[in-house]
Amino acid sequence: MKKRILTAICSGLLGVTMMAGSALTASAQVPYDSYSFNYWGEEVLQPHSYLYERTLTSLDFGLSLSFPEDMCIHGEYLYVADTGNSRILKLDLAGNVVQEITSADGSSDLLKTPQGVFVTEEGHLYVADGGNSRIVEYDENGEFLRSIGRPVTTLISDSQEYRPVKVVVDTAGRIYTTAYGINLGLVEFDKEGVFQGFIGATEVSVDYFTYIWKNYFSTDAQKARMETIIPTEYSNIFVDDEGFIYATISNLSDEDHMNGADAVRRLNPTGTDVLRRLGNTPITGDLAGRQWSSFCDVAATEFGCYYILDDAGGKVFAYDYDGNSLFVFGKKGTKEGNVQKPVAIALSEDEETVYILDSILGGILEFRITDYGRHLMNALRLNDLGDSEGSNAEWLEVLKSNSNNEMAYIGLGKTYLSEGDNKRAMEYFKLGNSRKYYTKAFFYYRKELMESSFGTAMLVLILLIVAVVGVRCTLRFRRWVGEVRCFMAKR
Amino acid sequence: MLYGEKIKTGLEKVKYCFYVMTHPFDGFWGIRREGKGSIPVAIAFVLLTILTLTIEKQSTGFLFNHNRLSELNVLVDIITVAMVYVLWCVANWCTTSLMEGKGRMQDILTAVGYSLLPIILIRLPMVLMSHAITTNEGSFYYVLGTISYLWAGFLIFTGTMVIHQYSVGKTVTTCIVTIVGMGIIMFIGLLFFNVIQQMMTFATTIYKELRFR
Repeated sequence: MKKRILTAICSGLLGVTMMAGSALTASAQVPYDSYSFNYWGEEVLQPHSYLYERTLTSLDFGLSLSFPEDMCIHGEYLYVADTGNSRILKLDLAGNVVQEITSADGSSDLLKTPQGVFVTEEGHLYVADGGNSRIVEYDENGEFLRSIGRPVTTLISDSQEYRPVKVVVDTAGRIYTTAYGINLGLVEFDKEGVFQGFIGATEVSVDYFTYIWKNYFSTDAQKARMETIIPTEYSNIFVDDEGFIYATISNLSDEDHMNGADAVRRLNPTGTDVLRRLGNTPITGDLAGRQWSSFCDVAATEFGCYYILDDAGGKVFAYDYDGNSLFVFGKKGTKEGNVQKPVAIALSEDEETVYILDSILGGILEFRITDYGRHLMNALRLNDLGDSEGSNAEWLEVLKSNSNNEMAYIGLGKTYLSEGDNKRAMEYFKLGNSRKYYTKAFFYYRKELMESSFGTAMLVLILLIVAVVGVRCTLRFRRWVGEVRCFMAKR
Repeated sequence: MLYGEKIKTGLEKVKYCFYVMTHPFDGFWGIRREGKGSIPVAIAFVLLTILTLTIEKQSTGFLFNHNRLSELNVLVDIITVAMVYVLWCVANWCTTSLMEGKGRMQDILTAVGYSLLPIILIRLPMVLMSHAITTNEGSFYYVLGTISYLWAGFLIFTGTMVIHQYSVGKTVTTCIVTIVGMGIIMFIGLLFFNVIQQMMTFATTIYKELRFR
């Protein structure tokens, strides 16, 4: 009997585990987790914002890519710098090769390990032809226009190698490039290709202890073995609609990360960092205690959200205009939908598809936005446009799928605040952990409360005063009566 | 003694601590020389301080409460306050006996316990206040908080000075030595704890070895 019960229990358990197992495999088709950081800096799992769709591989191209290093999107076409094969490929979104560019001026003038591509609004293609130390421009048909060579300046020595790696062109036609070995910032050329200077150099900050130690207490042998303190180089650049340049920095040491060094910047045309860092967490990708992220590329939407690609963990980190963490997706691995060495990220025109170029895989991974992601991005977009009602509706949808979304609570709270529903606004700001807005809502709520209950409060106060005075008078009177009686009795 | 009289003297003792708070020199002298202090009252104040700190963490308004309520631990408050109280008193007693202090252990316990009163009296109303003010008015809140600690610190300082009949300079030295002493006691405690733990492990290992044979 006992045995039978045991077997029954065992088989029941087995069934349950098998069911659980099958359920798990069903949800495990997405080979990564999506999460965001909450107020306390913890990773909170959330619904997927982008789902892996497919990979464009050499089977689609009909050609094989050899360690491609950069990718740019323009309309319906992807431009890939196929660095190992020294060529630029123009692909349509299905992965067919539309055009292959291998040379610059004439067929004998070949490209040599180009590492960066950029396409302007008009469709002009800029290639950072690193092996030949120049930037090459083509027109929209892929015809050679001009090449911009080594900057003529005394700021870099003649023996210094000049090797442009990434290139962008802003709305005014200024050309910016990051060059290998040049740590003075971005190299800027004007519209005509004349060297203008360096912008956005990272300032070097040395703490007092290091400075004193290095200059007064170290021997020459020690100094020689110490790291020289040099500014960091930018790993990639991206120009947004407003002409601001997003620049990522990847070669940060653990110590730099601990000291809160910038991993991404948004440079204005004078080279000043204007990135808003108002979120609860620093914009460093994964936070302290985890493996540090190493940002290798960035892409921005038209309403100021940006997606940063991390090649250490193979993740994409999305932040909004203020620097709040929106979502994180992606993973390094060998499963389908994982990346091995991501090098470039591009956003489709409608901002609903994310393309990630994988250097080792030699392919392009495609991630499609989900309903949840669409609601989230729409809420931010409408908010940016000033349509609070529309964004309100989207936030409600976001909350339906993810009740942990603090930004949604804050967004809704703001609407309630503007509607004058202060109590409700307070509730939502509390859920969103926003003391900055809670205090505003509370201020109005308190005012409202004081105005509405002023009459009652005064009445209670007056009654209290009357009662106290009355009691005291009665007591005094009784005492007086007693004294008088006493006096009478004595007499 | 009559029951009513007992209550009366008890009440007087409780009343006396308010006198100590506002007249520290006179008050602590009374504790040392005139036997006006009471150890039970002092310990009650320590317990009330623990309660105050707990209530503060738990019930301070959202704007001023940066604690994560789901991760609050009352034990932490109990251990920090009670441990620091006991450690301070023991270390102070040790140092002052070497430094010609006139105070007895019971005086130290009472004086330090009575010195905690401002923390209770100021910080409890602050919890209520935090529900009625905005961030802009927060400076009042923070100033009050600082005052409560400074006042308590000042009372502990004067308490040490009056009870042991020290000059100001000597009190400062004593306080520093006491803090160092607290560190040493904690170090020895941890060392002792560690040794005992290792001995226990050793014993259990031997027991296991023998059992498996």
